[in-house]
Amino acid sequence: MVNIVINGRKEKAKEGATILEVAREKKLDIPTLCYHKDLSPFGACRLCTVEVKTNGKWQMVPSCNTPVENGMEIATDSEKVLENRKAVAEMLYYRYPETEAVREMAERLGVDVFSEKGEEHDCILCGLCVRTCKEIVGVSALSFEDRGPERDLEEPRIGFDPNACIGCGSCAFVCPTGFVTMEAVDDKRIIWNKVFQMTECAVCGKYFAPEDQLKYISRTTGVPFAKLTTCNNCR
Amino acid sequence: MDKLEFSSWNGKVVDNRKGKAKKASRAAAVPFPAPVRGEKAAAVMGWNGLVVLEPGADVPSLTVQYLKEIRKISCGECSVCMIGIDMLLDIFKDMADGEGFESDLAEVEKIVRDVAANAKCNFGQSALFPVSDAVKHYRADFVAVVKGDRKIDGKAYGTAVTAPCIEACPASLDIPGYIEYIKNNRFSDSLGLIRKNCILPGVIGRTCTHPCESACVRKDLDGSLSIRLLKRAAADFERKEKSAPLPVPSGAKDGKVAVIGSGPAGLAAAYNLRRKGYGVTVFETLPEAGGMAAVGIPDYRLPLDILRHEIGLIGDMGVEIALNSGIGKIDMDDFRKKGYQALFLAVGAHAGNRMGVKGEETKCDGLVDGVEFLRDLNLGKKIAPKKKVLIIGGGNVAIDCARSCVRLGFKDVEILYRRSRAEMPARLEEIEGAEEEGVKIRYLTAPLEVVSKSGKFSCLNCIRMKLGKPDESGRKRPEPVKGSEHVVEADLVISAIGQSAVIPVTASKKSLSVNKNGTVKVDPKTMMTSVEGIFSGGDCVTGPATLIEAIAAGNMAAEGIDLYLRGEAAGGGLSFDGVDLKSQRAGGYVVKEGAEAVPFLEMAKRTTGFGEVEGGFSHAGAMEEAKRCLRCYRVAVWEKGK
Repeated sequence: MVNIVINGRKEKAKEGATILEVAREKKLDIPTLCYHKDLSPFGACRLCTVEVKTNGKWQMVPSCNTPVENGMEIATDSEKVLENRKAVAEMLYYRYPETEAVREMAERLGVDVFSEKGEEHDCILCGLCVRTCKEIVGVSALSFEDRGPERDLEEPRIGFDPNACIGCGSCAFVCPTGFVTMEAVDDKRIIWNKVFQMTECAVCGKYFAPEDQLKYISRTTGVPFAKLTTCNNCR
Repeated sequence: MDKLEFSSWNGKVVDNRKGKAKKASRAAAVPFPAPVRGEKAAAVMGWNGLVVLEPGADVPSLTVQYLKEIRKISCGECSVCMIGIDMLLDIFKDMADGEGFESDLAEVEKIVRDVAANAKCNFGQSALFPVSDAVKHYRADFVAVVKGDRKIDGKAYGTAVTAPCIEACPASLDIPGYIEYIKNNRFSDSLGLIRKNCILPGVIGRTCTHPCESACVRKDLDGSLSIRLLKRAAADFERKEKSAPLPVPSGAKDGKVAVIGSGPAGLAAAYNLRRKGYGVTVFETLPEAGGMAAVGIPDYRLPLDILRHEIGLIGDMGVEIALNSGIGKIDMDDFRKKGYQALFLAVGAHAGNRMGVKGEETKCDGLVDGVEFLRDLNLGKKIAPKKKVLIIGGGNVAIDCARSCVRLGFKDVEILYRRSRAEMPARLEEIEGAEEEGVKIRYLTAPLEVVSKSGKFSCLNCIRMKLGKPDESGRKRPEPVKGSEHVVEADLVISAIGQSAVIPVTASKKSLSVNKNGTVKVDPKTMMTSVEGIFSGGDCVTGPATLIEAIAAGNMAAEGIDLYLRGEAAGGGLSFDGVDLKSQRAGGYVVKEGAEAVPFLEMAKRTTGFGEVEGGFSHAGAMEEAKRCLRCYRVAVWEKGK
């Protein structure tokens, strides 16, 4: 355990925990768009920025990927922090004015937002899908494209490797804006424009998982494919 | 450099414009990226400020051009940098279209502050400051744009992109770029980018002295990124996963180039010339291609199959590599008759230097020089281990010899070095590796005489040294201690005190000009020697240097040869010499994490064979390490001057 001061209160915190984890445990509200507790922090949305005092100096840091240190002083709601968050939200709103998740966040942080509901589902490059695909699913079918010195002037985007994708749909589940969509048509699932054949549950007959996903599970766990064709409800 | 109009470089304002208070008029006050080699700039806008050199410079237009250029480097990973740049571009577009307001200038400064405070990487935190400087100090010009009295239009511009690591790299590899690709799980793209400047990525990823890592901004925070090992990761990934051929030129160019020497310099030149469409033949004296990379570095540091694979790819592009084809005498006319319009001389420095002691000239069994020893070893000659070996010298060759002797089964391996450990030129990790393996190092000891009996080495008369005042190299000069003469016995002595080039003679009337130390003289801009059509680079020009310096020379020579064959002259550019690339006006809080570790070969296996000692990153380990990059890209855009 380390000793910290958070918003003027002396607290103990688990060593190695991030400021965001500690703050949420203490029920302090810090907004995020790119954070998920089960994924490695990415530090992309810059909304979780707080102020910390180390070596006598206050500095802005993203709380999601900064671990607490013994003696650290943290301010999660100082005037500077709130102003800063609003500025970041303004930028996101400037780029994605019609995307509901962004509008809600901007409004919550004090940005003047037009009243009508957003109709778009932009990709805000939060990287939740990329990290889920790599860290949870383990197939790395998604990656950032058009980044780096050779990219053109287009927006960066998510690259999709159809050969690696198993159609599990985790990316669609975790996407905060509805950009990643998953469609079910009869015995098919369509995701990232790739069509997956669904497997029928051997007991109830419902389509419950893509064949590719079950094959992948069979391959990685050694459980024969035939034993995986029963859905969770019937197992 | 003429008079400086204005500078805000590093936040230090110098203003010599008419009607402004005189503060200082020396351009040299703060070093900024300056035009060189005949290039002229009216104004330079870079990460650390705005510098105006000509009164007629168009600062608003330069600002817009600068924003367009930095947008290419902005990765869009965090919410603020790319969006902020776009917001600024939109504001200036509105101004240019007559839809702007003077109050927008305050908004510009706010956006700059917000991006600097929130950007994730060092690029984002620093890149926008000069825009703020421009609207602040050239406000009247921007107001004129708002009022429609001034246009924002394109002039002739130049752009330079660098970073502390890029600048430190002899071959100017785009290091943050290839690291970014690895971070995003795009190893093949990373390798493609590396190969633009470094055609032996697996070799360099193992053997480079990595000056980039010394320049890394993280160095003083929590340790440099393992840049060398990331390059190795990109190369190894490709070899393991899928080995794609190198791109072959679409249109062939007229003209053939002869390359003498298949070392890193020769290979780099051959690859680049082939890529440009020229026919290339590489002539190599030895039965193995690769120069010092093949015969100067033992297998435990660089397995031969790595080198062979990378040379094989160059061969597959259509570069002809003729082994066992030494060129004793260069006859440029003869080469021309055979269709070669240019020649690149890259014969390296393969002759061991003499120790300059008594008895050395008498040929005797049991005394060899280091380069010869390593060459024999690498070419497969059987070397029978003896009991005791002495290695004279403190450089990387000495260490390579010593560690090789351990592997060959010598019982007692000792290095004699005339200075102390602090002055040893060998890489620290190599010295430590040698010591771990049982190599002894006797410091402050120098040989005086080689004693041999009937053609067989007998012993070495030595003397103790003490350190005096620093010499030209900056290292303390060793001075003999009177009366400390002593005898050191051994079964084999390897002298590894440096190498020299052996330059082939030319047959033409004009001979090659050489420097005092025997290296070839070249024009540093074109790499051409005193003989027209003959270019040179690598160790035979610089004296013994690193592999990456040789590759850089090969790259440059290919440029020089291409320009020569097309009858064009090299253009100028922006130089970052003397510019502090590490400093930036705002820096973020950096979480200390330390570099990812790699496995090393267990000790028992090191003394019995030449298996590779250092392991590489795992796929995931490389991606984790790549995340540590702070992306200290520095961009400078200049309006071309009169």
